[in-house]
Amino acid sequence: MSRGSLPRYILARIGLMIPMMLVLLTLVFLLLRVAPGDPITAAVGGKLDPVVIEARRESLGLNRPLIVQYLEYLWQVARFDFGQTISDNRPIIEIIRDNGGATLTLTIGAFLIALGIGIPLGLVAGRARDSVRDVVIRLFGVVTYAAPIFFVGLMMQMFVARPLGFPTSGIANPRTQFTVATKPITHILLIDAALQGNTQALGDILLHHVLPCLTLGLLICGVFIRLVRVNLLQTLQADYVEAARARGIHESRVVRKHAFRNALVPVVTVIGLQAAMLLGGAVLTEKTFNWPGLGTQLVHYISARDYIGVQGLVTFFAVIVVMISLVVDVINALIDPRVRYS
Amino acid sequence: MNIKSLTGLAAVGVTLALALSACAGSAPGTATSGPAATSGGGSYILGTTDTVTALDPAGAYDFASWNLQYSMFQQLVVIPAGSDTEAPDAATSCAYDDAKTVTCKLQTGLKFSNGHELTSSDVKFSFERNLKINDPNGSSVLLGNISNGDAKAQALKDGAIETPDATTVVFHLNAADLTFIKVLTTATASIVDEEVFPADKLLADDQVVGSGPLALESYAKGDQAVFKANPNYTGDRKSQSDQVFVKYYKDSSPLRQAVENNEIDVAWRDLTPTDYVDIAGKGQLDVINGEGSSFRYWVFQFGTEVGKQQAIRQAAASLVDRAAIAKDSYDGTVTPAFSIVPPGFAGQKDSFKEVYGETPNVEGAKKLLADAGIATPVKITLGYTPTHYGPNAVDEANQLADQLKASGLFDPTIESAEWEQYQTLYKQNAYDLFILGWYPDFLDADNYLTPFLVDGGFFKNNYSNPEMNTLVEQQRGETDATKRAALIGQIQDLTAKDVPLIPSWNGKNVAVANKQTKGVKETLDPTYIFRLWAISKTA
Repeated sequence: MSRGSLPRYILARIGLMIPMMLVLLTLVFLLLRVAPGDPITAAVGGKLDPVVIEARRESLGLNRPLIVQYLEYLWQVARFDFGQTISDNRPIIEIIRDNGGATLTLTIGAFLIALGIGIPLGLVAGRARDSVRDVVIRLFGVVTYAAPIFFVGLMMQMFVARPLGFPTSGIANPRTQFTVATKPITHILLIDAALQGNTQALGDILLHHVLPCLTLGLLICGVFIRLVRVNLLQTLQADYVEAARARGIHESRVVRKHAFRNALVPVVTVIGLQAAMLLGGAVLTEKTFNWPGLGTQLVHYISARDYIGVQGLVTFFAVIVVMISLVVDVINALIDPRVRYS
Repeated sequence: MNIKSLTGLAAVGVTLALALSACAGSAPGTATSGPAATSGGGSYILGTTDTVTALDPAGAYDFASWNLQYSMFQQLVVIPAGSDTEAPDAATSCAYDDAKTVTCKLQTGLKFSNGHELTSSDVKFSFERNLKINDPNGSSVLLGNISNGDAKAQALKDGAIETPDATTVVFHLNAADLTFIKVLTTATASIVDEEVFPADKLLADDQVVGSGPLALESYAKGDQAVFKANPNYTGDRKSQSDQVFVKYYKDSSPLRQAVENNEIDVAWRDLTPTDYVDIAGKGQLDVINGEGSSFRYWVFQFGTEVGKQQAIRQAAASLVDRAAIAKDSYDGTVTPAFSIVPPGFAGQKDSFKEVYGETPNVEGAKKLLADAGIATPVKITLGYTPTHYGPNAVDEANQLADQLKASGLFDPTIESAEWEQYQTLYKQNAYDLFILGWYPDFLDADNYLTPFLVDGGFFKNNYSNPEMNTLVEQQRGETDATKRAALIGQIQDLTAKDVPLIPSWNGKNVAVANKQTKGVKETLDPTYIFRLWAISKTA
């Protein structure tokens, strides 16, 4: 494989993933052990005698040397065995299967909203540089990016949900969820409702998605506004755009066909970076809206000091982010061959 | 895509959102199970912030799990709503033959929801496996009086349970224990199907089968549980609804939003005191207050120089203004406590009120310290955790510090730690006085005595008084109710004298319900059992 070939580039990226994952897994393992408490004291520390608590810790193997626990953990991960939670005996794989779908539809919905709001507003701001519209849009982008998710979520619940009748929490009405989830096909509630042809349930699930997706989508739309605006301003000053104008092409066509499309290229790169932010934001959004996703589960297991639960879910999140980064890197390399040489 | 197209796309999005919002008022979902012969019909949704550990009775020691287990399983005896004495459930009777022997006679014709027969063999199996599994999150510790006492290889003691026939169970206790029948009312004593449950490990949540009034229909952990009326159940706890939904919330804020938005019918455990006051003020929903038995208290650490001095402990006990704490820190949603044992239990007496008065007594405190030759102001460190008992505990800690400081006799410092760290710190003498809370496992005064007062209690505050140990042991084995009440009174008096802890308040059992639900008020009693089967909703 020659230097700069795409397969070589992909292999190099995959090779980099391994140390990255190892560092992450080690950090998660150590941080959890450094933090005070353990699953037993978290669950029954306020009830039981210390002697009984100690016996329970021992029965779980929490008193073994850290290095033994660490190597065992790495060996499990290497075999894709994420284990079973300590606090409620759930296999991690089952948690990912049952709760992953809710996080997936939330993040995809939020991402579409972010693109749907961010790109048009960035375009408008870029075309009307330094106008009132530009200032207002930039301000909007900064505010949505800077506002804490739980605050935006609470405002949505109080000032949008009640007047318009949107549900404030959950992925579906409990009765809808029961109807759809008892016959799971993909374990993704939205898709299962569609596959079951249950339009009423589908409408209800979509309705429940509106506010959480909007809240999370607003967080990252500011990034897209800024990015599209800046890139549009740059491309509008490029020589080939000037040349297009000189040929008498209409300004709107110049923007649409020449400047805008090129301004979108860096957005692809940023999508990879936003994936981590999106998943981080999803944790807070899920908590605010009582969303039954992986973020909610992660918060629960952190509170329960459930080492296995937290390790398993963080590892899964990490794998997802790394995989998305890899895909984005490959797309970038395809779009711009210079990347392969950098 | 030009700007017009994008604007059009946005318009479509807004239209879609508005169209969806128009649908929001309609009741989505169509799920209804066929009406069960035993139920009153309909369904309702309960919302709670509780976290369920396990549905297998051998795997949990928390209210959330226990509450679901009470609905799905039968125990030999149960505590009916509003009562503090046992009533038959799977057993027609359970009685002491002597202080160390309990005999239970089972009802005939009992069946699990899967159709399997329930016999004395299932009862023995249930206790045996609970002790053997000894799950780290479980409550087998409550069955210590029939265990072999081996912490590393816990098991049922040989001969501890006899089953002479299919409807008789005899328990032979290790020591005289008048609380054992109360233990039989708890969810840890739930009867499981020996043909379904493994003998040495927990059963997966979605596979549990019981003989209680409700049967599990679907379960999404941490999200929701759905039950249907169990058609095989023939006891007094017949379900009033065909179907029951329990929705779990991670926080009180979305729980409040949900109940105010009519997404759920009942919100129970826990909204904040402020929420209850706000919601009651609006008048759209019923805020229902039931009698509670939760207990909040301040523990003295005898391992510190301050904590080990009786005069200091007594002076502090003289200065606490419980009424002010209840009013200001908890918006009047709790009741001041003057004893370690909450009101309603036989032998309960407000010993702290008798000794130190109902209101702060600065002069009395000053005299106590002066008589003991203790220089004032006494530097004292108060500990609390902001992460386990909610934000109001922070207010309480600050208010208590203010009260002590205002007397001029104490110079308090308040320190806080996250719950995990807090549990280590208070045992390591980091605080002179620290706050803790308690929910009872079962309704007996002993559940407020043994865990707290014997050899430093579960919180290891280094308090040890042989006289106290003897009294506690005596009351546990005393078969005469009058004598036992007298012993419990003596224990409370001795607690007020020694002051290993200062009672602060007793909580109420509060729920918020819409006007269509029935039966909520009746279930809000000191047991904190939310009797899912007893609630119904009118159309």
